[in-house]
This record gives sequence, structure tokens and C-alpha cells, in this order.
Amino acid sequence: MLLGSAIGFWVGILPGIGGSATLALMIPFIYKMTPQEAFPFLLGMHSVVSTTGDITSVLFGIPGEATTVATVVDGYPMAKKGEAGRALGAVLMSSLVGALIGAGFMAFSIPVVRPLVLALGSPEMFMVVLLGLTCIATLSGQGKRGVLLGLLSGGFGFLCSLVGQERQAGIIRFTFGQLYLWNELPLIPVVVGLFALPEIVDLFVRGTAIAGHVSYGNLSKGVKDGVRDTFRYFWLTIRCSLIGSFIGILPGLGGAVAQWVSYAHAVQSAKTLEERAGFGKGDVRGVLGPGAANNSKEGAGLIPTVAFGIPGNSGMAILLGAFFLLGLIPGPDMLTKHLTLTYSMVWTIALSNIVVVAVCLLFINRIANLTTIRGNLLIPFILFLCFIGAYTSNNHIGDLIVLVLFGGIGYFMVRFHWPRPPFILGFILGRLAENYLYVSISRYGASWLYRPKVIIIFLIAVAFVLYHFFQKKTLKMEESNEG
Amino acid sequence: MRVSGKFLMSLCLMAIAVGVMITGMKWPFRTALFPLMVSIFLFMGALADCLLDLFGSKEVVSKQGIVDFQLSDDIDPAIATRRTLVAFAWIIGFFFLILLLGFSVALPLMVFLFLKVQAKERWGISLLLTGSALVFFNGLFVWLLNIPFPAGWIFEGLKMLGLG
Repeated sequence: MLLGSAIGFWVGILPGIGGSATLALMIPFIYKMTPQEAFPFLLGMHSVVSTTGDITSVLFGIPGEATTVATVVDGYPMAKKGEAGRALGAVLMSSLVGALIGAGFMAFSIPVVRPLVLALGSPEMFMVVLLGLTCIATLSGQGKRGVLLGLLSGGFGFLCSLVGQERQAGIIRFTFGQLYLWNELPLIPVVVGLFALPEIVDLFVRGTAIAGHVSYGNLSKGVKDGVRDTFRYFWLTIRCSLIGSFIGILPGLGGAVAQWVSYAHAVQSAKTLEERAGFGKGDVRGVLGPGAANNSKEGAGLIPTVAFGIPGNSGMAILLGAFFLLGLIPGPDMLTKHLTLTYSMVWTIALSNIVVVAVCLLFINRIANLTTIRGNLLIPFILFLCFIGAYTSNNHIGDLIVLVLFGGIGYFMVRFHWPRPPFILGFILGRLAENYLYVSISRYGASWLYRPKVIIIFLIAVAFVLYHFFQKKTLKMEESNEG
Repeated sequence: MRVSGKFLMSLCLMAIAVGVMITGMKWPFRTALFPLMVSIFLFMGALADCLLDLFGSKEVVSKQGIVDFQLSDDIDPAIATRRTLVAFAWIIGFFFLILLLGFSVALPLMVFLFLKVQAKERWGISLLLTGSALVFFNGLFVWLLNIPFPAGWIFEGLKMLGLG
């Protein structure tokens, strides 16, 4: 477990080297291991990737993992304000809380989760996807124009996700004759380009260190504040962990969605318009929510894999392969004959996160002080990491073109106030949404629209948009009354 | 009437949506359904945004804000524009260096050039940091992870000519 955690620590920090890819690389090493050795090794690695992936998101605005993008939105502005230590303290502690809740969720919910997973068919899942996108789109912009831009940004993300070979009929769409694009636009170059390059350009323009003119040593003071913030907003952390856990058990959605939905929930928790305006500019709650959700989904994501043999995401699919390699069959046997092994997975997730967070907290002061290094010294290294991270996605030069292209798009989106979070969520969920829509129409025709659960989820999405305006009016009235 | 960069972005989105709609007409119904749904929504939304930009009240435009990273606004706009162009030139330059020379040569060259030309660092620091980048790159990505990196067009061309 410790060896796996150490590997996961570095995999999380390095952009582009994903947890799933490393899990696949590690599979050959488990041939001679017993299940009791192999699963702590693999899970120890996989479960800490999101924890350390948040570090580069906060310090440099480069998401270490696709699942740690949401942390950039408020974590990096905190680093720019000289609060890198506080942001890291908050994200690490909330990650730990999230991981523990996710592990607990797995331990207690295996028997009851089956009916829930089976109750949601393709029509309901299509609506869940739309609900998720609506949440983040409406909350990432303020005012009617902001909401409109959020929805447009999400729609644009949907469109970009459609590049490549269509899965049902095999028709090639928007590839411009490029074989590289047949296999969709790769996620990592898109994410790194969209989020990291505009930040690098801004760092270049400012000509200072990331933390501006904050002096070396002052950053470490915030670490304890960050840890305290987790407990100051403890219920928010718990709620976001539960959101992550719930999304984790739904096949197909995974951490990339969990982080944004929990981020949207953190924004929604703002009590005044001023508070809400502070999100995106360095509000610690914007770091706590995604940090907690990212890690809680790991434990929960194991539930459908272990209990029903349904992997929730690519990482879990690879882990499923490990089950078969070791002669185990996921399903009822894991809850009876191999129950001890199942519970050892819970402990692995909890313990590996405790160890990694403790190690990170020991060195966090020095890590945070990286943001006081002059920008001119950092920029070539950050650029190097961006290019390498993007390239390792497919080992193709096309990855670099996508990186630069989406870097430009990201810059213009930031410059003209188009929110990027809905774009990335739309991009991640686009294919999934189309697949669910296709299956719904093929299986039910138009009658899927009348299914009660579909109508309920649709109404929740509509209510979410309306509530956003209603809440704004209420907040304005309250503020004017107080004034 | 205000024609801003944001307006042009909405206009571009409208054009993309129209392009998707026209292309989608040629596909079978189920393949085209989702792209058409999304593009119609985008076209309507972008049109509304353009109209608001052109005829909406100034107050509405100034009130909108986003929950996202925002560019620094404490730099003189002329300097900011110049530095932005230089930053993009470095990024694109790095890309072309990789294309022409491959990662193993482009990486140290880029780090060194940036430190020496842009940052105007001393020779010692520039060489030390370039060496560190080279060791990190070769140690982790080449030696440990064994990632195959292309040689670059120039070296491949030389090899084809029998000179490499």
C-alpha cells in the first residue's frame, strides 16, 4: 500500500500522467501477488492520485488530473493572493475527509445501493447529465447574461465532444480528414490547454511570482487556517463528500463530474451576492468542495465494481481486470466469501489517504513557497510540463496542436468572460449524453420523455435555473432590507 | 451599438452552430439528432447574446460576471497586449521547436532560450536549470516511463537523406 501510495503521489502531481494509465501500467506487477497484496498496492496508488493532483492545480493552475480541474478555479487565485498554504491546507484536509467519508460510504452502502443503480436507466441518466450541466452552467455566471454564457459554454463543450467516430453507426464527424481526430479530442490536452495556458500567459503578463509580491515564508502561515477552514465549513465538506459518493456510484459519471457538481454546490451555499461574486477569485469553499468530492468518489466508485461487476469509470474498469487476473469474480461472492478482502479495500483507501495527507502536510510549507519563485524562472518549466503532459495523452504530435488550440480558446474565453467550467463538463459528458439519448430513443421511442423519473429530474433541472433567479431576487431584497 | 470581442465570439459560435447544422443534415437521423439539438440551442443562445450585446442596456452587460479565473487588470493595457503576444509567441515557438527538433532537443533549447533571452538570467542559472530540466525529462519520461518521443522533422529528414 505504501509503495502504491508513493507512486500515486507522483502520478497525481505530474500533469498528463493519469491515474488510470498508471493503474494499467502497474497491472503486470500484480501477477505474482496475492489479492491481499495486490489490491492495497493498486488502490493505494489509485486513491491518492486525486489528493496530490490538487497540488499543481493550486500552485500553478495546471490540473494534475482531469479530476482536479475544478480546484484551479479558486485554488490558483488563492495562490496568486499569497494564500497558497491556506489553499493547500484546505484542499488536503478536505480530500482526507472526503476519502474517509467515501470509504465509510462504501462500507455501509453496498447492500442498499443495488436498487438505486438499477433504478436509473438510460433516459434517467441522460437527464442526470443535463441536470449536472445545468447546475454548473447556471452557477458559474452571475446575472442573466452570465447564466446564458454558462449554458452556451456548456453547449460548446458538448459540440467539441462530438468530434470523432460516432459510437453507434460509426459515422465520422468533424474530423477534417484527420485520422488523429477519429478517436475524439483527447481530454488531457484540452483540459491543460484550456486551464493552464491562459494562466501562464497571465503570469507572463504580470511579470511577478505567482503569489505576486508576497515574501518567502509568509505563505506557510496559512496552512493551519486552511486545515481549520475544512472544519469551519465542515457541513459543506460533508455535503460535497456525499455528492461525490453519490456520483461515484453512478456508472459513467465519475470524478470529473463529481468535482463540478460539488463546486456548483459550494457556490450555491454563498449567502450573499458579494459572497458569490468572490468565487473564482479565491474563495476557500471553492477549494473545499471539489477536494472533498474528488476523493469521496473513489470509495463509492468501488461499490458497483465490486458488488455488481459494473465499472463506474476507466480506472475501475482496469481494476476489474485485476480482479479477473487474481481469480476473483466481482459480484455476490465479494460480499460473502471474500468480504474480508472487500473491507480491506475500504481500509486501504482510508489509510493511504491519511498517510499521503500527513506527508504532504509535513512538506506543505516548502511546497507553497514555490509560488514565490519569480515567474520568469517558472514559466519554461510549467510550459514543459504542459507540453509533456499533453503529449503523453496519445504520444501523438496532434496532442500538442490540440493543447495550443485550446490554450487560445481558453484565453479568449477568460478574456471575454465566458466561464470555462461548463465547457469542460459539457466536453466530458457530451459523448455520454449522446449515448444515453441514443439508447433511450432506440429502446423507448419518444415515450422515454414521459417516464416519471425523467420528468422529475427534468423539473429539478428547470427548478435549478429558476431557483438561481429566485435566490438572486431574495438575496437582493434581503440586502436592501439590511441596507 | 457595441461590437466587442465577446460579440465576435458569439458570432463565431453562431457560425459553428450553422456549420454543424448543415453538416448534420447529411447524416442519418440518430447520428444527427444530438449534434442538431445542441447546435440549434447554441445558435439561438448565441443569437440572443449578440442581440443583447447590440441592443441590451449597458447596465445588464456590466452586471454579468463569471465564476472563473480572471486576467490581471492592474497592468497598462498596451503593455499587457504586447506581453500577451510575446507569451503566445513563446508557446507557439516551443510547439514548432518540438515539431522540428523533437522533445529531447527542443526542451533544453527552449528552457535555455527563455531563461537567457526572455528572463535575462545569468549564464550559470540558465545552464543549471536547463541541465535540471534535461535530467528530469530523460530520467522520468525517457528512462523510467519509456515514452517514445519523435525525433523531429529535421532529424527525420536528415535520416531519410542518409545524413542522420
